[in-house]
Amino acid sequence: MPLIVPLLLAVVLFCIGVYGVLARRNAITMLMSFELMLNAVNLNLVAFDAWRLDGLATGQTLAVFVITLAAAEIGLGLAIVLLLFRGHGHVDADSARDLVEVDAVQQEKGAAT
Amino acid sequence: MTTALFSVAGAVAVLASVLVVTSRRIVHAALWLVVALGAVAGCFGALHAEFVALVQILVYVGAIVVLVLFALMLTKAPMNPLPGLTTGRSPFAAVVAAVLALILGAGVVLAFGNEKVKPVTHGSATDVGTEIFKVWVLPFEVLSVLLLAALIGAIALSQRKLSERSDKLSSSEKED
Amino acid sequence: MIATAWRVTGVGFSLLVVLTAGLLYGTDPAQTSFMNSPVGDLTIGFGVRTDDLTVLLLAVVGVIATCVQVYSLGYLHQRPASYHALVTLFTAAMVTVVIADSLFLLLIGWEVMGACSYLLIGHYWERRDARSGAVKAFLMTRLADVGFLFGIFVLGVGAGTFRISELDPAQISPGVLTTGTLLLLVGVVGKSAQVPLQTWLPDAMPGPSPVSALIHAATMVAAGVFLIARLYDVFSASDTIMTVLAIVASVTMLFSALCAMAAVEVKRVLAWSTVSQLAIMFSGLSLGTADGRHAALFHLVTHAAFKGLLFLCAGVLLHQVGSAAFVVLRRYTRRGRLRKALPVTFATMTVGLAALAGVPGFAGFFSKDTVVEAAWHHARDGSVVGWIVLVSVCVTVVLTAFYCMRLWLWVFFRSPALAGALGAFEDDDPMADLEEPDTSKLRDAPWIMLAPLVLLAVASIGLGYADGVQLNWVLALVTTVLALLGALPAYSLWSRGADPRPVVLEREFGVDTAYHGLFVVPVRWFARLAVGGDQDVIGAYVRAAGRAGTLASQGFRRLQTGNVQTYLTAAVVGVVALAVVAGVISS
Repeated sequence: MPLIVPLLLAVVLFCIGVYGVLARRNAITMLMSFELMLNAVNLNLVAFDAWRLDGLATGQTLAVFVITLAAAEIGLGLAIVLLLFRGHGHVDADSARDLVEVDAVQQEKGAAT
Repeated sequence: MTTALFSVAGAVAVLASVLVVTSRRIVHAALWLVVALGAVAGCFGALHAEFVALVQILVYVGAIVVLVLFALMLTKAPMNPLPGLTTGRSPFAAVVAAVLALILGAGVVLAFGNEKVKPVTHGSATDVGTEIFKVWVLPFEVLSVLLLAALIGAIALSQRKLSERSDKLSSSEKED
Repeated sequence: MIATAWRVTGVGFSLLVVLTAGLLYGTDPAQTSFMNSPVGDLTIGFGVRTDDLTVLLLAVVGVIATCVQVYSLGYLHQRPASYHALVTLFTAAMVTVVIADSLFLLLIGWEVMGACSYLLIGHYWERRDARSGAVKAFLMTRLADVGFLFGIFVLGVGAGTFRISELDPAQISPGVLTTGTLLLLVGVVGKSAQVPLQTWLPDAMPGPSPVSALIHAATMVAAGVFLIARLYDVFSASDTIMTVLAIVASVTMLFSALCAMAAVEVKRVLAWSTVSQLAIMFSGLSLGTADGRHAALFHLVTHAAFKGLLFLCAGVLLHQVGSAAFVVLRRYTRRGRLRKALPVTFATMTVGLAALAGVPGFAGFFSKDTVVEAAWHHARDGSVVGWIVLVSVCVTVVLTAFYCMRLWLWVFFRSPALAGALGAFEDDDPMADLEEPDTSKLRDAPWIMLAPLVLLAVASIGLGYADGVQLNWVLALVTTVLALLGALPAYSLWSRGADPRPVVLEREFGVDTAYHGLFVVPVRWFARLAVGGDQDVIGAYVRAAGRAGTLASQGFRRLQTGNVQTYLTAAVVGVVALAVVAGVISS
């Protein structure tokens, strides 16, 4: 089997993931897109492991580690999403703009009220 | 044989992924994610990484997707299709992703265009487990600490602050 | 506490200078140099020397400084610490000038004196005239000091040494010699307030009177005379310089004596007379003979005594009466109070004025006659310079006698013609009839102020005989007659109650106005131009930079939407762009 096939598949999956992260409005779907990207990485790792055959199973081990990491990540990510939901009543990443620069005038108004 | 298997699994994975990022129903997207992850597990299998494929199905499909579905439920995600599930930037995001894919694909083709993968069976649980506990013990232990940290972090994040809780309580009492 | 410490230090230091002069008297001339550092072919370093000139000047400076410091104990109650410290520093600087054997050490003392005089003139900095006078003195002497500095360079490089004792006019080419001494002369003219840089000295009078006595009579302005006496070999080697000096001195002495005749404030009269007397010293020096130098130094010493005395007397008037303007003093005088209330001041001031006017028997008479005699000898040998000096000094004797007599009579005596009126000065005071001064409380100054007066009065008489009386009786008679010629018109004018002051003299020949038009106004225009350029050209760029920054930040602020996905998009685009650039570069 040509090595290029799994690699190209990984590229396609990764870019779909990138699109999903950038384009999806719902925070949970963004997290799903992250999972897709991580999977693409895993695919790369396994493919290169099958190609190199270094006898240490480096790629597969790393893929297992990444899966573990993904589990930790999704746990934390969902906790954050739940926090966002609790604070705002929605999980819309596009309208969560608490980091926006507020004008000094508005800030003063806010301080006054 | 393996190539054909891989191609089929890969095609399914790509299709399902596209549906994940384009579906208008969030729950459907989560379910399509299951398909995509399963298909990737199939790819792993085709590459003779049986243990990784199993872990993929167990952890991803069994744990993560369930977690995601729980989160959807907790955040009261609607079941019906939503028109505005993608932002206004999505065409631009698609362009960016396409360019990225072009660059990465070109790079991969240029670098590994002529390489072949020989199908060798070395991905059983015994093989990988031996290597993990023989060679990769230290990263493994570090990873366990990281998991613990993530656990504590998740608890800390999802825990309500005491003051918040008392506020809620007092307000609910007033409502009564 | 600090003030007391500085008072003690000041008096002690002045006494130390006197003591040093006494110890050095009669010792052989000696010189030493230290901290020499070779620079190229030249050696720059410090050097000190003691010789007759040094001892003489040390004695003068020490005695005058002691008198001034003791007098100031009673006179000055405002910011005494800084005052006494500065006077002490000033004295030290003058001592440095006097003992210097290196041109650079001399320059250091010279410049420190300039700075101290600026600070001391501006001692009452609350007063506008004091501030402007201080700035004027500083700017004018500083302008002259530029010439002085370059003169040192020219002379030092031309002679190959900066040691005064090693300067040999025979080894310097005539052109360099003339240039160098001319430049030095610029500094001297500025420091000693000669024409055309004379205007700062009368305007420096708002300073405390003891400071006027110290700076503007005895030490700082005398530094110019001292410098020429010190470098007399070098200066007298160039006839051009001597002629220039003679002309400057002659013009100055006539000019300033005429100005003194029209001044209506005691200190201003004295200031102009200082300029005039300094010019007499310079004229003695400009003869280029040993006699001339001796006469000039003799006059320097006697002048230091009687002019210091006069300024201190004016200080008593200021201190006890509150003003030294004629119009104020006349109010007391017309009741006949001033003379009776201030007997010691009256007596000592009379002695001082007599010495200044050249009344026979007083010190000024003898020293002035020495100058006249030296000029006469020189002129008899057929020298034009000698004739110029002789004639101008003789005319100045007449003018000096006139203004001394005028000052004395108008300040201390009731005019018989206008016994009850304010006399000729009431035009000056718009509030002349406003209130009558309470004359009954007028007292003479405390003894700590009067003691220096008495000492200096004794010196003003006694110093005339210190050199041994070697009078040319004919010349002495001539100058006495000339002085009488000047004094008589003053008396007759006074007795008629008239004090005609020609407008041109009152305005001091319009020099200040002319300088204002020639220098101040163009400089102001340039300053305005510079300010305008700074605001409208350079400032425009600065402001534009600021506004551009503000605008840019307002623009960039819009980028910060708070939307995490936008940031992520930007990051990814950046990564892609970097990858493309990397690919382009590597391919």
